[in-house]
Amino acid sequence: MPNIKRIQKKLKAKYGEKVQVTFEDDIIRLTGELDNWDDVFDACSMAATKNSRIHVVNDIKFTGAEIPPMRVPSLIDTVLEGKTPDVLVIGGGISGCAIARELSKWEINVMLLEKNADFAMGASGANDGEVHVGFDLSKGSLKQKYVLLGNHMYDKLCSDLSVPFRREGQYALFTQSWLFFPVFFLCLWRKYHDGVTDTHFLTRKKILKAEPTFDRKIRFGVYNDSAGVVCPYGLTIAYAENAAENGVEAYLNAAVLSIDTDENGVITAVNTNRGTVRPRVVINAAGVFADDIAEMAHDRFYSIHPRRGTNSIQDRKSAKIIDTIASVQHINLKQQSKSHTKGGGLMRTVHNNILAGPDAVECYEKENTATRPESIKVTYDKQKGTVPLASERDIITYFTGVRAPTFEEDFVIEWGRHCSNMLHCGGIQSPGITAAPAFAIDIADMVVEYLSRLIPINKKAKWQPKRKAVPSLKDMSPAKRAALIAKNPDYGIIVCRCEEISKGEIIDALNRPLCPPTVDAIKKRIRPGMGRCQGGFCSPLVTQIIAEHENCALSDVRKASAESIICYGETKGGDTE
Amino acid sequence: MIRTCDVLVIGGGPAGLAAAIAADKEGAKVILIERESRLGGILKQCIHDGFGLVRFGEKLSGPEYAERFIDEFKERGIEAKTLTFVTSVERIKTGFKATIVSREGIEVIETTSLILATGCRERTSKQVFIHGTRPSGVFTAGTAQHYTNLLGQLPTKRCVILGSGDIGLIMARRLTLEGAEVLGVYEVKSTPSGLTRNIHQCLNDFDIPLHLSHTVTRVFGQDRLTAVEVAKVDEKMKPIPGTEEIIECDALILSVGLIPENEIAETLDVQIDGRTKGPRCDATLMTTVPGIFSCGNALHVNDLVDYVSESGETAGKNAAHFALGMERTLVEIKPNENILYIVPQVLDIKAKNDAVVVYFRSKDVYNKATFRIIADNKIVFEKRYAFLRPPEMEKIVADFSKFNLREYSTITAEVEVDAK
Amino acid sequence: MKIVCITCPRGCTIDIEKVGSDWQVSGNSCNKGREFAINEMTKPMRTICSTVKTTFPSAPVLPCRVSADIPKDKIFDVMKEINKVVVDKPLTRGDVIIKDVLGLGVDVISTSDLLAQI
Repeated sequence: MPNIKRIQKKLKAKYGEKVQVTFEDDIIRLTGELDNWDDVFDACSMAATKNSRIHVVNDIKFTGAEIPPMRVPSLIDTVLEGKTPDVLVIGGGISGCAIARELSKWEINVMLLEKNADFAMGASGANDGEVHVGFDLSKGSLKQKYVLLGNHMYDKLCSDLSVPFRREGQYALFTQSWLFFPVFFLCLWRKYHDGVTDTHFLTRKKILKAEPTFDRKIRFGVYNDSAGVVCPYGLTIAYAENAAENGVEAYLNAAVLSIDTDENGVITAVNTNRGTVRPRVVINAAGVFADDIAEMAHDRFYSIHPRRGTNSIQDRKSAKIIDTIASVQHINLKQQSKSHTKGGGLMRTVHNNILAGPDAVECYEKENTATRPESIKVTYDKQKGTVPLASERDIITYFTGVRAPTFEEDFVIEWGRHCSNMLHCGGIQSPGITAAPAFAIDIADMVVEYLSRLIPINKKAKWQPKRKAVPSLKDMSPAKRAALIAKNPDYGIIVCRCEEISKGEIIDALNRPLCPPTVDAIKKRIRPGMGRCQGGFCSPLVTQIIAEHENCALSDVRKASAESIICYGETKGGDTE
Repeated sequence: MIRTCDVLVIGGGPAGLAAAIAADKEGAKVILIERESRLGGILKQCIHDGFGLVRFGEKLSGPEYAERFIDEFKERGIEAKTLTFVTSVERIKTGFKATIVSREGIEVIETTSLILATGCRERTSKQVFIHGTRPSGVFTAGTAQHYTNLLGQLPTKRCVILGSGDIGLIMARRLTLEGAEVLGVYEVKSTPSGLTRNIHQCLNDFDIPLHLSHTVTRVFGQDRLTAVEVAKVDEKMKPIPGTEEIIECDALILSVGLIPENEIAETLDVQIDGRTKGPRCDATLMTTVPGIFSCGNALHVNDLVDYVSESGETAGKNAAHFALGMERTLVEIKPNENILYIVPQVLDIKAKNDAVVVYFRSKDVYNKATFRIIADNKIVFEKRYAFLRPPEMEKIVADFSKFNLREYSTITAEVEVDAK
Repeated sequence: MKIVCITCPRGCTIDIEKVGSDWQVSGNSCNKGREFAINEMTKPMRTICSTVKTTFPSAPVLPCRVSADIPKDKIFDVMKEINKVVVDKPLTRGDVIIKDVLGLGVDVISTSDLLAQI
């Protein structure tokens, strides 16, 4: 039971009459009006208890700017009209795709909807790909539970789904000597109490011997062997493909616009831009929009506060500066709660680029992924303290994603409180990629248990756990590569010189289930355009291959969404005349 | 099956073609590897004229210039493997072993010497720290040129060009001719990067404004680009807050510099010059690794194809005469602070060096300046210039043969400025 | 009057003034510069390089140019003519695509053997 009086007092001290708080129905609801988003965030955070299942719902009217509505695809059709799946999963990020794949083990109809033009277009696509160990988490939270379970699943999972994954270990580094004993004891606590069994406390000497590129100012650190890196969008897409191979119906460009419920709070219909679906169960894995979807079902008992993060990718040439994950931790006692920004870490990605970031900035826009110069600055100012050789000059690209935390900063994995057939998978943020494989299994079990009360439900006899990826020829032995080229000469035509991707691989990717025929989709799946020239050389060639494959005009090929035109048509004798 | 040759040329653009022809003329067995389906390199898409004035005394278009070399290449019966990609090169006792992949499969070629004529790539929007969203409609000038000139597709109807490099200027004219509207060319420096005549015939002729000391800071648009933000910059080329302006357009075309492509050279431990971003070479255009030669835009970014061909010929000729076990004693040519870069960077004092072709660029715009090469306090070469401009590469020929160079000799190159 | 010569990459800045019925030219490095400057004052000429549409799917356009300079004010008129053409034969380098375009006494010619090679 939260102490509402105390919260009220604190809010009044800071915001006067501008913010009010009520407690009803197990919800701490904040109302009022504020014109500064940082104040909105601070007020809600003030009212929230970390990891609590009693959530803060933010009903404060933000008057500082207009919060843009959810972007909806321009496409309108009736493909989904009248469909009655047993389970409807909303959201094609890591959560939705993993859940869909786990549900595909059962003889039920599962439908997966994603509003964007591809999977992993939100936080899962802009993620750093770290497979966490949970050193920063205390026992008792869902995050901590699932990060431990999830981490252990990665070897088998990535082997099954043919997704590159590597355990490369992680350092948390410290430069402040006064933290020596607190960190030393934290290590023991994590190891013996919280179950992070691979935790090692290391002295400066040991660290610098193992990692000579690290900054000399480091005093001591914590090392965990089991930390790893994965391709986050690769894993999301692999989950979606495997789900589709096992019978899940997945639709892109399909946004949920409204939800109909009956008097008992049961969802009867889900209305989308592609028609109305009548599912038995709805899984809300809508990321930053999870609270909006919850609201549509009159079941909003938590609020998402968007938190932006930007990662930078360095040229592979600079890969030698680090072959693990590391970041310097700096504790500032005076200024703890106010600093919403952090500089993230430094790591070698699974594709052997260096990744720096992400930072963390609270923001009111859920879909504003525009990058800003200050993110790069914050990140590199910090990361040069990890590895002094880290340099902005080696950056080949950077991108921003928006995390979807609740004010309690834990996952929300539970059935609706007022809507009985909506299962919430909300508040999924770091370490969401690590945790998803584990919570997807629990969520699938919850759904199966629910459905088994309504219909007979059986495991699929012929469930296929393995996904065959597009072959990556550059990683093959010459003999194997030659044999494949002999079968299909297109494998011998290199289209992307930076990443050494052949025409054959691009055509294979286009032929995979659920692959939209767009330049970005191909880039995400097999990497042409991910290298140092960023598609300068290969993007016209990829565009051409897509046009040939789809038997369409070059000007009909898109970068990603339907409106992301690449070319406007022929320069002469064509439609521009 | 392992094939052998004397000279393996990587890259079938103007540098590689000239190198292969020159090596063939010297009697070497040459194989040329080209990644694309046709020879000619980037000239295939440079359909504008102005090529070959130095060499042929004619104003040719890019394809015409390239095809003159391709004709000679074919007449000589030199072997070219097109649509073929070099995946790796290793050093072996007898020289180098290249692994290539093509529609035919995987092949290994062993060669005595290797010519890297791999050209350059364009700097991208993120490399000049443009921020904002990730819409379609952000093109490097070369990519826009590929769509327009090779595929006949219009990549923009209304665009802003960042960078006044020659490709940017040429594309401003090309797109205008093809019916697009070019709203302006923005240049972060206070002087244009491209040739003066291109400012004149590509921008002025079509009333396209050139905004110096301006840059693009942000792009907008969720799907296709809808606008860019431009801002004035200070002397340090940093945007000045408050000078931002939003320009509605559908594309941003970038001509913000070229980077020599030396990924193969780097795997072979060839030393790269931080100024040119190409290999450090001697007068024969041999890199710091014996047997590996560099030419064209992989060596340094040229502004005239004529010089690209010339460096190809130098590399080709010398690669043909390269013999294993050849010993060199390299002495550095040290440029002074007014020189952006100089090629060659080193001299082999054991070589004749009686006609060393030297290319250099000044660091800034200088009116009335003297270029000098000094060896052990003696003037090897001296020339007065009415003006020197970084976009315009200068070429001179110097004779070092009378200066009795030793391994402890000091060679410097300087530009002395009368008045800035 | 100051003019930038576009004849060669040197791009000389030329001073030109009319003295009586004669042109006084300075700043040029060669005779072509003088010629250019005078032309620029009397009848400015330019070249055009573009592409023409083809019927060949693997080479949708063929590069072309005018065989000699045309009056500057005719650039867009000539472009209109170039945009109308569709090449359906494997023309080679130098082949005439449009004979005597707009009666200017200049042809539009192919600048590549591209179509003959594919």
